[in-house]
Amino acid sequence: MSAALELDRLSVALRRSGRDMSVLDELSLTIAPGEMQALVGESGSGKSIAALSILGLLPRGAKVTGSIRLAGKELVGLSENGLRDMRGRDVGMIFQNPLSALNPSRTIGAQIAEAYTVHHRSAPKAEVAARVHELMTRVRLEPAAERARQYPHEFSGGMRQRAMIAMALANGPKLLIADEPTTGLDPVVAGEVMDLIGELKRAGMAILFVTHDLSVVERHADRIHVLYAGKSAEWGPARTVLAAPRHPYTEALLNSVPRLGAERLRGIQGNLPEPEQRPSGCRFRTRCRLAYEDCAKVPPATTFQDDTALCWLPLDDAARATIQAEEVVAAHPPLAKGQLLTLDHVAVRYERPFGSFAKRAERDQLAEISFSVGRGECMGVVGSSGSGKSTLGRAILQMVQYRGDITLDGVSFTGLRGEARSAARRRIQVVFQDPKESLNPRLTVGQSIGEALRLGGLRDWGAIRERTAELLGSVSLPAAIAEAIPSGISGGQAQRVAIARALAADPEVIVLDEPTASLDVSTQATLLNLLKDLGRAKGLSYILISHDLAVVSYLADRIMVLQDGRAVEFGTSQSVLHSPSTDYTRRLVGAAAHVPAAV
Amino acid sequence: MNSQTAPATIRGPSANLGRYFRNRTLVTGIALALFVLLPSFLGGLIYGRDPYELHLGQQLLAPSGEFPLGTDSLGRDVLALVFDGGRATLIVALPAAALAFVVGLLYGLASAIGPAWLDRVLMRTLDTFLALPSLVVLIFFASMITLTNTTLIMLIGFISWASLARLVRNEAIAQRGRDFVLAAEQLGGGRWYVARVHLIRVMAPILAVNGTFLIGDSIFALSALSFLGLGVQPPQASWGSLLDSALDIIALDPWWLLLGPGVMIFAALLASSLIGQGLNARFGARS
Amino acid sequence: MLRTLFTRGSASFLSIALLITMVFIMAHLPPGGPAFSILGVKATPASVAAINSRLGLSIPLWQQYLIWWGHLLTGNLGNSYLLNRPVAQILGSYFVNTIAFYTISILVSVAASIGLGLVQGVYYGRWPARVIDFYQLAFYALPGFLVGTVLIMFFSVRLGWLPASGIVDVRDISPGIGSFAAHLVLPVTTVALLTTASLSRYFGEAVHEELGKEYVRTAAAKGVSFSAILFKHVLRNALRPLITILGLSFPYIFTGGVTVETVFDYPGLGWLMWRSALERDYPVVIAIVLIIGVLTVLGNFLADVVNGLLDPRASYE
Repeated sequence: MSAALELDRLSVALRRSGRDMSVLDELSLTIAPGEMQALVGESGSGKSIAALSILGLLPRGAKVTGSIRLAGKELVGLSENGLRDMRGRDVGMIFQNPLSALNPSRTIGAQIAEAYTVHHRSAPKAEVAARVHELMTRVRLEPAAERARQYPHEFSGGMRQRAMIAMALANGPKLLIADEPTTGLDPVVAGEVMDLIGELKRAGMAILFVTHDLSVVERHADRIHVLYAGKSAEWGPARTVLAAPRHPYTEALLNSVPRLGAERLRGIQGNLPEPEQRPSGCRFRTRCRLAYEDCAKVPPATTFQDDTALCWLPLDDAARATIQAEEVVAAHPPLAKGQLLTLDHVAVRYERPFGSFAKRAERDQLAEISFSVGRGECMGVVGSSGSGKSTLGRAILQMVQYRGDITLDGVSFTGLRGEARSAARRRIQVVFQDPKESLNPRLTVGQSIGEALRLGGLRDWGAIRERTAELLGSVSLPAAIAEAIPSGISGGQAQRVAIARALAADPEVIVLDEPTASLDVSTQATLLNLLKDLGRAKGLSYILISHDLAVVSYLADRIMVLQDGRAVEFGTSQSVLHSPSTDYTRRLVGAAAHVPAAV
Repeated sequence: MNSQTAPATIRGPSANLGRYFRNRTLVTGIALALFVLLPSFLGGLIYGRDPYELHLGQQLLAPSGEFPLGTDSLGRDVLALVFDGGRATLIVALPAAALAFVVGLLYGLASAIGPAWLDRVLMRTLDTFLALPSLVVLIFFASMITLTNTTLIMLIGFISWASLARLVRNEAIAQRGRDFVLAAEQLGGGRWYVARVHLIRVMAPILAVNGTFLIGDSIFALSALSFLGLGVQPPQASWGSLLDSALDIIALDPWWLLLGPGVMIFAALLASSLIGQGLNARFGARS
Repeated sequence: MLRTLFTRGSASFLSIALLITMVFIMAHLPPGGPAFSILGVKATPASVAAINSRLGLSIPLWQQYLIWWGHLLTGNLGNSYLLNRPVAQILGSYFVNTIAFYTISILVSVAASIGLGLVQGVYYGRWPARVIDFYQLAFYALPGFLVGTVLIMFFSVRLGWLPASGIVDVRDISPGIGSFAAHLVLPVTTVALLTTASLSRYFGEAVHEELGKEYVRTAAAKGVSFSAILFKHVLRNALRPLITILGLSFPYIFTGGVTVETVFDYPGLGWLMWRSALERDYPVVIAIVLIIGVLTVLGNFLADVVNGLLDPRASYE
């Protein structure tokens, strides 16, 4: 059977600041009908560029060499008219972030209809309406007639993504390109979207699935192609690659994904290099644990059981076992006695950040939550968006008004004013989701941390500088980074700065509100390990808020599951994960990434 | 592949080229500002002629060697008038802008960090005030008071601060909910501390940009009032009043009477706009 | 939808009420009151008191406030000092002239702004956009009275194509539409040049911003042509802020318009206000301030309503 898509040594260079920058280097892959090929890599690896170049949607000045053949037809060099013909008809594409990918002022029905009418100009209205109806039923957006009249903002994230899929399917394309469609969606919803895509695959569609998270494609991908810094690292049948990865990068990626029951995450040190700073030879060698001198030369391709890797030292079973054995598994410390933080029937009606325009809510955003956290304990709070978990965090931080009582070390916050209140708040610190947002963009790293120290009473410049260097060291950052501003460092580094700043206040509790959600999988892993080590070393208590059960299970001693502002499940990690008592929890557990079964 | 798809997926970056252009904006603006300031404050001294001396028999002369910008219907040297008029205009407009800036900033900040009821009261008042066109209010008040430099400074300052206040308040409210502000509070910072250290710093670019626009607005307001006869009072000349007298005898095609004040006003307002834009670009996109 | 109309409407009423109060306060702010301004240096305590009682300014402030409201609600805008006739009578034709003038100017400006803004957004960074940039920049720095005067100099005095002032030719006994139109050309052009400069800037930015949004990429991926993207997708979203901006711009349009009316001696409210201010005829001045204020609030309200019709999300505010 002829291939649905064939990329042959596809290379793309973008024009930046007057120069050509190579972002994709000789990518070759093939997708047969009814097959899903996963294109995996970190942000900046060139995977999205590859997807866009198939459709010819690259920015002005982009140079493409190589060949893109769609069902035998060559796309490189095609005229704009030819490309437009092909877009939406032979190839459908869905994107990340369906809210911004849909026009906010047109109905869903109109936008789906447009996908059809663009290629069937003279189709009568009845035919178009029927097709829209058919498509919406296919993606389970029902009742179709009613849904078609609604606007994107009235849909949930999962529904919007399904609408995008309906648009992509409108003309019966042979190839579907999905660019990170589930990033940002709740695990349960993401699972539904993946199931739908899986159905399409089984019905015969070829699918190119672009993602940074291997766990997303584990269930449905037939083939996996791993990209690093624009160059292919490893490719082969999904089963083989996942069970026995041969490139160190693939292996590291696999082990960065938090999985239920995993004892240790590994992560990958460092960051993806900018195109100007790519190392010669094997591009991964600066971050690879096994790199040696030969790696400075371009590595050869070696194939084993249909799995090809570009590496001087492709891993075999023995090598993999050695790496994993190196990981030291720290023993779980006994649960601390004593209650540091207690919540008693805490409820929040509406959030009123700092005054003025409050949104009046009909019912409580958070309904009567009560629990205690001991010293050194990590309490995980899990739930989908809207469950109230962030609100709970803010209540603990005294950032919103709440009913009920919160007590820290025996002293209740109700009735605390002025200095005493300020001092008590200092003992509970916070790490937010978006690291760049949580730092003042006009202050250097050193100034942000310095401010934290000064507010705590430290006045002497010398002492502040010393302590800042210490704190940066404790989060594995070089002291020199104190001169940088937030826009000049990576997300992972910025998040560490945020942690260092929180530590500057010598807190006893840290509220972590989705601390790794904005980061790449590999960076996420390193950060979680850091948090784990810091917590143990300093006896910190954590309130870890996340929608990802696997992340929470890695750090938490006890877990509370929230749904619609209510606590529906509460217990030790073990019990919640292995014997959930509610349907909702079961679904969350099911949607989370698991340790893959041995091949 | 020739990609003509203008709805670019990634915005075309023009960093280097853009920076050069932006710097030119700022530089041009500053140059224009000097072009306006220097003659206005030093021109009279250097040129030496008395602007109010009547050269009888030499009325309404087109520009010549003796009178570089010609003479007006009373025989006065137009160039000297332009210099003196500039001085008169700027010594009112500049302090007025400064006054407007300070008052607007404090009003806006107070509204943003104070209690919710204060915000509502202040903003309601402000909105109602802003509903009236500035010039209309200026004319209204100008007709009721004695017009001296001091009263004009207060009048124009009083009218201009309103739009800055609203901007400051909106911006401050947008910024104060941001994570880094919340983090600072959690670390122990009080409201005014946060306003001082974080809010003003983050708003600095916007303040600088709008502060410069404020100067342009002041000059415009004063010139308009003077043009209407309700600003700087005769016999003191000002750019606005010079244009007014030119309009009176427009049928005689006195282009030289328009040139001086016209170019000056244009240059002053353009300078304010360019400096504002230059600063805007210099400070980068939204931080 | 109806509910938002009601809330916005009552908010507007409240604004107008506040406005009336504010004007009242402003009218009484200057020390000594209108009496001093009228009498100037010749003021003596006796003559001031005489004028005050004649104007009804000697009774307590709060009583004056109530009487003020009473007058307004019955359509009594006071009597002109100068002409000794009810202000309400005088304003009639001036009001109509102003409405005609501004309506035409705004329509022309909006049309021109949309055109220029589209070009500016699509050709962002390239020379057509640069030219428009320059125009916008230049006209921000050119006040209405300067532009108007220059236009008169070129088109009336030098070329003799268009009349320089007034609303009709004074020698015409029964002026036709053509005469009205000819007299409107220059004033409208002046205001339009200024207003378009700022409106098109906002619109151009909006278009440029929309073009960078992700739904544009989605549409392209469906195979939609660029012009279809522009007119079916981008335009609708970019127009929304324009309507709001227009509503908010009314004060500035009026500010520009007042000086233009005086330059062209066009008998509108702005012109009348100016002359009355010079003659210290306060009742007229105050009345016009009120009317213009009310017009601005209504303009805002109208813009809100149109906005609500265009934006499906507005009802969720």
